[in-house]
Amino acid sequence: MRQLVWLAWMGGLVMGAGLEGLPEYLRPDPFGGVVRVDGGGPGSFRNSIELAGARGGYVSFHLVVKMPEGGAYTLSLVCPGADLYREWFHFTEAGKSYYPDALIPVRAPYQSRLPEPDNRVEKQTAQAFWVDIWIGPDARPGVLEGQATLEAGGTRSVLPIRVKVLPAVIPEEDVVTMDHNSYGSSWIPERYQSDAFFARIHAHHRIFYEHRGVYHQLGYGHGGKVGPEFAPELEGAGRGKRVSSWSLFDRHYGPLLDGSAFAGTRRGARPIPFVYLPINPEWPASFLWWGEPGYEVEFVNVVSEMERHFREKGWTRTHFELFFNHKKRYKAFPWDGDETRFPEDNRYFVEYARLLKKAMPAQTPVRFVFRADVSWMMEQQFKELAGVINFWVCGGTEFGWYDYAPRMLKQRGDIVWFYGGTPPVTQVSSAITTNPLRAWMWGVDGYVHWQTVAPGRDPWFHFDGGGTALVYPGDRFGIQGPIASLRLKVERNAVQDITLLDSFKSKRPLEGLKAEAARRYNGAKPQDWWTPRPSLADLPSYEWTNTSIDEAPKPNQRLFARLEAAAFEKVHRFVMELAGEGK
Amino acid sequence: MTSFGILTGMWMLAAGWQAGGDSMAKELEEVARVATVMVDGDLCQRIVTPRALQYMLKVDPKDQWLGSDNFDVNQEAYIRTKKTLIRLGRLVSFPCDVNLWMPLGSEPPKIQILIRNSNEMSQFWPWGALSQEMIPAMKKVLESGQQVTVREKPGWISVLAPVWNSLGEVVALVEVVSQRQRDPRENVK
Repeated sequence: MRQLVWLAWMGGLVMGAGLEGLPEYLRPDPFGGVVRVDGGGPGSFRNSIELAGARGGYVSFHLVVKMPEGGAYTLSLVCPGADLYREWFHFTEAGKSYYPDALIPVRAPYQSRLPEPDNRVEKQTAQAFWVDIWIGPDARPGVLEGQATLEAGGTRSVLPIRVKVLPAVIPEEDVVTMDHNSYGSSWIPERYQSDAFFARIHAHHRIFYEHRGVYHQLGYGHGGKVGPEFAPELEGAGRGKRVSSWSLFDRHYGPLLDGSAFAGTRRGARPIPFVYLPINPEWPASFLWWGEPGYEVEFVNVVSEMERHFREKGWTRTHFELFFNHKKRYKAFPWDGDETRFPEDNRYFVEYARLLKKAMPAQTPVRFVFRADVSWMMEQQFKELAGVINFWVCGGTEFGWYDYAPRMLKQRGDIVWFYGGTPPVTQVSSAITTNPLRAWMWGVDGYVHWQTVAPGRDPWFHFDGGGTALVYPGDRFGIQGPIASLRLKVERNAVQDITLLDSFKSKRPLEGLKAEAARRYNGAKPQDWWTPRPSLADLPSYEWTNTSIDEAPKPNQRLFARLEAAAFEKVHRFVMELAGEGK
Repeated sequence: MTSFGILTGMWMLAAGWQAGGDSMAKELEEVARVATVMVDGDLCQRIVTPRALQYMLKVDPKDQWLGSDNFDVNQEAYIRTKKTLIRLGRLVSFPCDVNLWMPLGSEPPKIQILIRNSNEMSQFWPWGALSQEMIPAMKKVLESGQQVTVREKPGWISVLAPVWNSLGEVVALVEVVSQRQRDPRENVK
């Protein structure tokens, strides 16, 4: 939690070389300004900062070293719970501009020079740093003080930092799950199946967990090829098909499912809440036997073994997802498991639900769920697959037409997420806060960024904008694992606020909290977060096209088209006001 | 090791690979020969729905996914053919896929992979392509009815064999394919 109260008496415009601060929603550029899309001017910089935050969370801000003449400098930071990150300036090909996003962990005091040698920004006059300050759940309410110091060219500049620690504690369980998806492991550079290979996978889970998120890694292809590290090894056929080894599976998933992979994190060791299973039309049962007794025998026997293994290991806090990602267009199976478009394909889901049920002992403590990622025909599937699917991941555009759906699905006890893309760095900094806030406004459980570990061929000097990345490989900085993005930090801070805001529903009506948050965010009403149902929705889904969906009326889009950088900051202030009332 | 030793070692490796490759090719060619007899061309012609075929040939500059979104198959024909292909792939002792390819009847001529299998191997399919330009070796099979062995990518062997319908026409072909060294992570996405 952070509240930037820029003190007028200490602030004012800061000119020339020195050390300055910016709120998290204004991203610095490498020339002493703010990136254009965030809209801040020279007056946004201040020479002291004051923040407020609840316990069990972070407060954050930018530190900016400005040196018009360049040269060597030393940056020191003395503040309890503070983490310092150098901001990498990515050159985007499309806009021919620089945006900070990758955050390189550095230790204070940090010594370098401007222009920063490895970032290679011509005529760079400013280097930005992201500062996270962790306020533990047991921290004493009061004021926490620190300072940042710049030494350069024989002069010394000091930036005082004051953090007001509020008594409120952010609940451990987030009200919305921000999920970060990925596919396979071919992008992992370490030797396949080595300890370092698994260490990097675990590091990805850890970095998203530390940022109040979840990480998914799909382990099979559209044709049913399963990566060996994602599944137990099988042998035999028909009645003889069985698990022959759990070795690789347990090396991969054991530390994630018992929580030990998260030991030493600030949030504490906890098992991952969700994981894909490797089950697909070709695994564990061979599609050769589809429709024959052998398919059922192979499926039920192996899935039963999985349930038993998970139960014996005590892996009972994770949702194990039966999920079909394949599509007909990839030419391996005759039905769409993902984004189903044709009604006749629903019967496959019904059959797999029957098989799954048969594989489960009554009263199993292991949480198997049947997940479907739905778009074209979600409305029909909500009806036809009631009691079959209990975990819905819905395309955001179409789901926005069905404002009745969250209540209907939640009343059944289903888990409901929606999915979409990741705002690239070229969008306003607050764009990354829209989907977590939308999930809460809609009353659903989470949001999936469909791809989050693919930063492109050269994110450092020829960046594609990061629409498929929220972490970067840290290898060029000597870190054998991922490093966070600035957008991931902003998303985390938003999730903290939304979680705390939701906790106030014990004192105030939830609808009132939503109305005020919506008003402050962009002047909208909660209902404006929905799209009025278009006439297109009444046609059979196989008659829709992407063009007709794009062209369907979206009268509320204008409210989100020109979002202010400070949009979420206004929500944050509302949350801090409520947190202050609780004293 | 001397230069002579290195060269000798490389020659022996290459010779060993060639020998292994020849034996693999022989087995794949035998599978392909059986596939030509066992795969039913009339059934293959019933797999893609007429509606899907229409959309595959449409171009909409505003909707690049029009063909993919409307791709659909007749399930019985698809499943029966896929099961035959899976069985054919099991005729050899090493991992092998038998893929079905069919021409689109378009101008310029295009071809689509229509059924892939669980090793997700193909020497010709660019991942995700709904259809693609006609491949010369496949054109040769479709025109001549002769089996062709292709080793374009190092370590890969594909045997292309014709699939006939009841009118005596070559309407499709199978790619019987394997790889000397499989990448367990390839196409897991």
